[in-house]
Amino acid sequence: MRRSFRTFTDRAFTACALLAMAVMASFLFIVLVPILWRGLGAYVFQGTVEHRRMLMGEFNRGSEESLAAELKEVRQARAPVYQALEAFEKELAEMPASRRKELRPVFQSVRDGVASLLGSMPGEPLPALPRRIYGKTRWDQARHGARLILFEEVWEHDDDGSHRRLEPRKALFAGTALEPLFDLLEEKNLRRLMRPRLTLYARFLTDVSVDAHFFGGIGPEVMGTFYLALGAMLIAVPLGLIAAIYFQEYAKGGPTMAFLRSCVNTLAGVPSIVFGLFGLAFFINTIKVSPGKSVLAGALTLSLLVLPTVIRAAEEAIAAVPQSYKEGALALGAGKWHTIMTVILPAALPGILTGIVISMGRAAGETAPIIFTAAVSVGKMVKASELFVMPTPALSWNLYNLCTEHEAVDEIRHVQAGMAATLVLIVLALNLAAILLRARVAKRLKGG
Amino acid sequence: MSSGAIMRRKTIGFLGRSFLFAVTSVAAVAVFAIILFIARDALPFFRDRTSLEFFVSKSWYPSHTPPQFGAAAIFFGSFLVTAAAVILAVPSGVMAAICLSDILPFKARQLVKPVIEILAAIPSVVYGFFALTVVAPFLQNAGEWLPGNIEIASGVNALNASVILAIMALPTIVSVSEDALQAAGRELREGSYALGATRSETLLKVVIPAAFSGIFSAVLLGIMRAMGETMVVWMASGNAAQIPKPWYNLLQPVRTLTATIAGDMGEADQMSGSAHYHVLFVMGLCLLLFSFGCNIAGEWVVARQRKKLRGE
Repeated sequence: MRRSFRTFTDRAFTACALLAMAVMASFLFIVLVPILWRGLGAYVFQGTVEHRRMLMGEFNRGSEESLAAELKEVRQARAPVYQALEAFEKELAEMPASRRKELRPVFQSVRDGVASLLGSMPGEPLPALPRRIYGKTRWDQARHGARLILFEEVWEHDDDGSHRRLEPRKALFAGTALEPLFDLLEEKNLRRLMRPRLTLYARFLTDVSVDAHFFGGIGPEVMGTFYLALGAMLIAVPLGLIAAIYFQEYAKGGPTMAFLRSCVNTLAGVPSIVFGLFGLAFFINTIKVSPGKSVLAGALTLSLLVLPTVIRAAEEAIAAVPQSYKEGALALGAGKWHTIMTVILPAALPGILTGIVISMGRAAGETAPIIFTAAVSVGKMVKASELFVMPTPALSWNLYNLCTEHEAVDEIRHVQAGMAATLVLIVLALNLAAILLRARVAKRLKGG
Repeated sequence: MSSGAIMRRKTIGFLGRSFLFAVTSVAAVAVFAIILFIARDALPFFRDRTSLEFFVSKSWYPSHTPPQFGAAAIFFGSFLVTAAAVILAVPSGVMAAICLSDILPFKARQLVKPVIEILAAIPSVVYGFFALTVVAPFLQNAGEWLPGNIEIASGVNALNASVILAIMALPTIVSVSEDALQAAGRELREGSYALGATRSETLLKVVIPAAFSGIFSAVLLGIMRAMGETMVVWMASGNAAQIPKPWYNLLQPVRTLTATIAGDMGEADQMSGSAHYHVLFVMGLCLLLFSFGCNIAGEWVVARQRKKLRGE
């Protein structure tokens, strides 16, 4: 074969490999950047006066005086809106029937739009649902809400498919008492109605949700995830550690050990949803660890899932301890068990911790095993005393639930994003800790 | 030391060892308990119906009266997204592994490894969220500027699920094949270079054949990961129990075994057990058997390769 051709194929091959690597690395950014960026929006955003009103009303947080002063100004700014609505309602009653028939449904949707934008109407009884008491708490939502009032969505169908067109409503109400309302909702004026201000809502992480996640935070989910992951590790770590010690220090090989090892491999390959089925059939329906779903059942199921990972990580860490350590201890007359406890385990500890931390991240992120064993969609913060009997919300499950089964999926996009980002950050933090731990171990082993 | 003390010490040693052995066998006990209890809740399904309907019929109407449990379309959905994901992930994964083991300098490798780890650590439900909020809208609009003006009815379809599954399977495939390539050893490479082979020739004709069993296990692990994944396919595949027309059309929604188990368990009677409940366990049993099959195949190939390398 010609040499130039061979060089060319060699270069092309190298380029392909580098490209594959680059593509894979870029996936990390393609996936993480949008999730973290959107999730940031749950914590830092342009909060309207309604957000501050909600914080005061639901969590009794913020300064009462400044809120009262702000509300006074807002009320003044909003008065013309309500006046326009009221005046038009009277006007509507005196209109000719045909025009009334045309305008009434549109007016009704404008009125509903205003109520959802600004919150409950003054002079009306306070609604029961918080989502009807408070208006739009976020500036992006407020702008969207105002757009829904200002424009009517019209769908046109032709050969090319469907197109959306926005038709201004102002023209429809020209000359009526409602006309000034549309100017008040233009962006410049809307700012005076909503008073957006850059807000840091750090307690999104710990607050309970208000009215099915319309407001408030993700505290119960974070706690649920914490309990589940911690519980799983409490069960899996002792088991995994002992198994690793046995495999590395006591097992003499032979068919029994080969069989046990292949069982660990098999367990690692079981699909996560099958663990969920097993948890339901065994822990809940057969040995009845709890009357129904519970944190305990979920933690037990998760612990089986992470057991192989823990065993392998601990085994690797124990195997990495230099043989000379062990020989030194044995030469000093220490027994086998004594050597393991005082020499091998302390030396292997950072490596074992690395494995534990990574497994904990895995347990925190798993969804399928807890669907049937521990997770509920709406739930209060689970108390420490109820861990053995009560189910809990959890970040992973509730992220799925809010994305697909919630009644108003589009209105809580920021909560979904915040949940996803929080879950990712928890897992990333655990992994980062593991990476740093390992780097320290590598350094120490190198330095002797 | 008196003989009594020695006896006592031996007994304690034996008891301790037995205890360690007992704890170590928890994994084995768990595997058998999983098989046992999944099978126990799966078998009643076949008590009053033939298994043929389940595997052959395409009509999945579990809540009709009488219910119809034809899971052929669901099996096909699982097969389709897994196959597509593996076709996407294996070539790029193996190439990336080659890059990692033979092309990148040591320093760069140290930087790339954490990237793989983090990619593997991202929870599946977050990948599902990504599929739903980023990939699905993108796919939906992609039809317009693609050549041929393909109409994509919905962004949640088999293609979406496959792409995300491929991303999820990549870290497994890369790290396991990289280990295999490394294990092929320096002497093999140096021998090939000494004969005047280029790097691509060395890798393609010498290293990859030597590391074949490891790469094969990597592919199997990737398949297992894709087949057993629940959240992504549940959120991104569209969940329509149908065989796409034509069968390879990835732009139509499909439904997989895992998503069916996760989605239907809420409707099935969990406490006393109905046919709907049992059929989901049958699906779980199928998944379980599939993963066992992959494990055995992987071990068999590794054992065979070892024999071959020993020259038997």
